[in-house]
Amino acid sequence: MSFLERGARWMLPMLLALGLTACTVEDDLLPSDEDRRPDVVAGTVGVQPGQIAPDFTLPDTGGADFTLSEHLAGGAQPADAIVLYFTMWCPVCLGHTDHLLNELVPRFAGRGTVVYGLVDYVSGSVENARAMEQSNGYAGSAFAVLIDADLQVFDTYRGAMGKIVVIGPDGVIQLNEDYRTGNNTAVALDRLLP
Amino acid sequence: MRQWQGLNPAPRPSIRGAGVWITGAVLAPVISFSVHAASCCGGGAASTLVLPKFSRAMVDVALDAEHYDGFWRGDGAWSPDPSGSDLNQYRLNLGAAYRLGDNWQAAVSVPYVWNRNEYAGLERNTDGLGDATLSLWYEAFDNVMCVWRVENWEDLKPAVYWGASLTLPTGTSPYDDVRDNFDITGRGFYRLDGHLTVEKTVYPWTATMSLSYGRHLERPINREYGEYVAPYDKQLGDRASGTLGLGYTVFTQEAETYTLALSYSDLWEDEARIDGRSDPTSGLRKRAAGLALAWSDAARAWVVRAAWSHAIARDGWGRNFPTTDIFTVGVSHVFP
Repeated sequence: MSFLERGARWMLPMLLALGLTACTVEDDLLPSDEDRRPDVVAGTVGVQPGQIAPDFTLPDTGGADFTLSEHLAGGAQPADAIVLYFTMWCPVCLGHTDHLLNELVPRFAGRGTVVYGLVDYVSGSVENARAMEQSNGYAGSAFAVLIDADLQVFDTYRGAMGKIVVIGPDGVIQLNEDYRTGNNTAVALDRLLP
Repeated sequence: MRQWQGLNPAPRPSIRGAGVWITGAVLAPVISFSVHAASCCGGGAASTLVLPKFSRAMVDVALDAEHYDGFWRGDGAWSPDPSGSDLNQYRLNLGAAYRLGDNWQAAVSVPYVWNRNEYAGLERNTDGLGDATLSLWYEAFDNVMCVWRVENWEDLKPAVYWGASLTLPTGTSPYDDVRDNFDITGRGFYRLDGHLTVEKTVYPWTATMSLSYGRHLERPINREYGEYVAPYDKQLGDRASGTLGLGYTVFTQEAETYTLALSYSDLWEDEARIDGRSDPTSGLRKRAAGLALAWSDAARAWVVRAAWSHAIARDGWGRNFPTTDIFTVGVSHVFP
């Protein structure tokens, strides 16, 4: 048996194993550009854009409760838009929230009322969340840090690191996706705000 | 032709042969692993293997234990992880290299990744295949370039390796059918890298410089963390890295070797582009120091190594990336 044949004998199983594994990750190996978003029925409650956002109540780091419906039209503190960002205080998260705070908040200042909420799904307590809010320079900022200790909102909204949700005053979700460049968030806010 | 053929005394071939091990077994792991970290943010990939000159094949098994200790923000300021968190990733790297010709070799490396994330309010343990790497190397030298003494200018010639590697998105990425970010073990993009490694050994010292430049391929995305979204195109930024290494080798009377190596590495990645628009929240930089110790038997058939890569957790030593310590233990077996 030649050296090449001997080499192929043990290299091929490795490549075969890699190939078989690849069959389970074809979404990345052969990525699709097909639009597979499910059809959305307007007026139904759900987390897809076009659906009515599920209501929730979370404590914030100031000791108060934040209830989504109170910030919708007809609520006690109505806003023109509600922005929720899921954070685990990681570099990706802070890259997004710094961009949101330094670019988008000033851009839309003075155009109606926007509630910016950071949904903290890892700190587990008001004390821990407050410590992260302060150490990352967000104390006193435009952000309300909401503590999702039992992952109620994280699970309901299918949250993940870097996801942003934009909700209109009628409670309809305008955007629920990765923050990406922030451009889609800006477009959604521009559409909602007076 | 093997440079050491016909040389005397008899032990010299094995001792000279040990020199090529310094790249293959000691410096290379430090170089490779010190620039990888944090699968959610850009790591989780395998390294490339380099086969010693004149060896026909090699298999390698290595276990990385990576512990997170804060991160650099986009402006370079270092920030601690959330209080009460204990964040770790473990990777079992399986690799094989095979000589294709006198100066050509190919390798494949596949990592398996375990994520162990514990926060004050959440604990998630997941695992899966990482991003595999296929590589091809050309050795721009015909003889072992290690010398005991510099007697003429030719003795200063280094060993030069040119390489190319393809990272395959075999890991679990945010664009797969996953529950959330804790499932992530790979980045989801193909990347084509070019490599240049220059190494010179004048016993007992070895100096190594390694440079890499990689380009991610653009891909369509129609899903994020398990939820379908309006399709768009994304391309991660170009990636460059450089490493300087210095090793010192001690020979025992039984012709075994112990090599201690230090390294410094710098990794940079440009901003990603989404539908042609630059993503100002992306891009990264990481600088790290490495320390490695390796033992090789007299026949140079086995190498056992331990390595530590330490990211410098201070302002300005990185950007937009976790600071981690990576501890590696590995064993290589070479088929002569």
